[in-house]
Amino acid sequence: MQEGFIDYQKVLNNEEHAIKSTQSVIQKAVDWFRSKSMFVLAYGTGCGAIEMPPTFTSRYDIERLGVVGVATPRQADILIVSGYCSYKTLKRVIRSYEQMNEPKFIIALGSCTINGGMYWDSYNTIKRLEDYIPVDMFVNGCMPRPEALIEGFVKLQDNIKNAKKEAGYIKYRENNEFYKANQKKIFGDNIEPSYEANFEGMNR
Amino acid sequence: MIESLKQQYNIEQKESRLFKLIIKKEEFLKTLSFISSSSNFITLSQIACADWIEDEIFKLNYILTTKERDKNLMIELEIPREESKLPTLLNFFPQAEVMERDLHEMYGIEFIGNPTLYDFALENWKEIPPMRREFDTLAYVNEHFDFRKGREDNRDVKVEIKRRRAEAKRLKNANK
Amino acid sequence: MQTNNELIKIFHGPQHPGITGNMSVELDLLGETIKGARTHVGYLHRGFEKLIERRTIIQAFTIVCRICVPEPDPNEENFARAVENLADIEISQRAKYIRVMVLEMARLGALFLWMGGQSGSIGLGTIGQWSVHDRDLILDLFEELTGGRVYHMYIYPGGVRRELPNGFLDRLSQLLDYLESRLPLYDNVFFDNSSFKKRAIGIGVVDANEALKNGYVGQVLRGCGIKRDVRKDNPYLVYDQLDFEIPTFEGGDVYARAMVRRGEIRESIKILRQVIKQMPEDGLIMQKIPKHRKFKLKKDDTFVATESARGEFAYYMAGDGTEKIRRMQVKGPSLIHGFTLLEKLLIDEELSNVAMIMNSLGICPPEMER
Repeated sequence: MQEGFIDYQKVLNNEEHAIKSTQSVIQKAVDWFRSKSMFVLAYGTGCGAIEMPPTFTSRYDIERLGVVGVATPRQADILIVSGYCSYKTLKRVIRSYEQMNEPKFIIALGSCTINGGMYWDSYNTIKRLEDYIPVDMFVNGCMPRPEALIEGFVKLQDNIKNAKKEAGYIKYRENNEFYKANQKKIFGDNIEPSYEANFEGMNR
Repeated sequence: MIESLKQQYNIEQKESRLFKLIIKKEEFLKTLSFISSSSNFITLSQIACADWIEDEIFKLNYILTTKERDKNLMIELEIPREESKLPTLLNFFPQAEVMERDLHEMYGIEFIGNPTLYDFALENWKEIPPMRREFDTLAYVNEHFDFRKGREDNRDVKVEIKRRRAEAKRLKNANK
Repeated sequence: MQTNNELIKIFHGPQHPGITGNMSVELDLLGETIKGARTHVGYLHRGFEKLIERRTIIQAFTIVCRICVPEPDPNEENFARAVENLADIEISQRAKYIRVMVLEMARLGALFLWMGGQSGSIGLGTIGQWSVHDRDLILDLFEELTGGRVYHMYIYPGGVRRELPNGFLDRLSQLLDYLESRLPLYDNVFFDNSSFKKRAIGIGVVDANEALKNGYVGQVLRGCGIKRDVRKDNPYLVYDQLDFEIPTFEGGDVYARAMVRRGEIRESIKILRQVIKQMPEDGLIMQKIPKHRKFKLKKDDTFVATESARGEFAYYMAGDGTEKIRRMQVKGPSLIHGFTLLEKLLIDEELSNVAMIMNSLGICPPEMER
């Protein structure tokens, strides 16, 4: 493999992280199955949406890892937040996330979800996504390449399979006040996206 | 076509295919309706606004394009920053609607007669319009968001550069 | 069966597989028929124009390309040309040819990506698998040339940033041969596909009489049989020394716009072949430009336009004598298409045609709200 890229097959077969959890055999089997079938809701919140088609089509073909795109939040296990979130988008991201069934995980793409990235001084984008919703895997880069996205998926599979990290949805459930308080800090009282635009003076 | 307009107006040629006409605010509607109806410049391509805060004005450029799309004419006018008002161009160009809506939100300019001046890109915006120069985006960000702390071993770039330069100078002098 | 005449309100987007980016269209439905449509944007607003006011030229240059995601190079070209106008820089012939090459490669890439989107919007998934793969081969060449797959940051005021790698033009020529050999296959599976024709003909018809006055650009105009292209009408760089046609098609519907794009893929390949042949051997790729803090613009304003793969990209730029840009205003090709035109075209259409019409108009929200 070329320098700079991590061989994802090597990551897949990585033996050094042996299963150390105290889960039952059935739970381990369930986790293993879960890691092999990931249904992805790709929300194109930003630039990251442009590297989604190459990742999901024939050249990089992420389907061989069991990752399939779906159309609605209700069928999805994984939410991809692909890039910076503006105020308006973040409300919809939160709503999409809350519509998903557990277990659910979030992959965040791009530097802008980590610390604002290119738009660190922009008045309309949020800076740290994990303040508002729990992120299970960050993929850095501006733009992250498809290989980086695949690596992120493989790492997440590894996390799920070996139960290495506390899953985000559990954090969201248990620390709900923390996330809601953060959301309230920037949105005020209307956290739910208002589907009533301001139509004053509009007669069409 | 531009020649006949040149006789009537004081049109300056900026580039081979770019012209400029500076008008007063009072003659705005008259000039635009005349040029768009009786000359080749039939379509509105952009409404550009720049904030000149030191002169207390907004400079608006209505950029008209010919039917052949080969020449552009910038019609410039100044309006005061406070109580900035202009009549809408909706009666001449339907595309002016979205451009005026954008400028209304970004600068707070009121286009009299445009019924659609509601939210464009921002939602529940309570500050002053963001593109006005007195709006400080960095101060807004610092007030509303927290940044992630850097690595523990990170160093200030300027200090680091100074240190490296001093090091290089010392080495150079030592070699002498 | 329709039992009452109440309109149902549906938000088509922002989280929807058939939407062209992060935006939404609010639809009033009577059964399956659309009776009213309103476009909502703002999901991607980053305030570029504000950020650019705070940055020097080289700092602004790094974020300018991020204004439009599928094809960043027309933005770079516009920015570079506006700065050159305001700083009185003249670039060399070789740099101009390299810029044309980059722009045409970006156009090809964007058109291949469009093909995937347009076919996906009517349920033909295979074509997306092919065309996104072929676009990726263009991105590989971009990566070799500029170091970036998507955002290239290559066209800088004063020229371009890097010399061509050894043998780059040969590899580009080979890629063009490959892409040309693929075109008949795309004809078979997409453009001549009867299921595409049945869906697309007569859908989303643009009125040709008001197209020029209402400021439509790009394939929407050319799909009405009106020959307008910034590369021919208001030529920049070396487009006046190259021999190419502007493809047009009568009808003004989705199919006409698709056929215009089919012609443009061929013309882009033709332009690239000429560029490879005519590229000057030597010449400065970068003029001598002032240093970072001394790169000042004069107090003046200018207006530049570039033909992107979806129509005219126009920038207004004003300098104020300092190293920062006083104002840069972007007008993307789909600003008018996404609002005035889309809201009009969707009336009395079926709900299932919305994605197809939006793809065909080339609506891309990041440039509408910046």
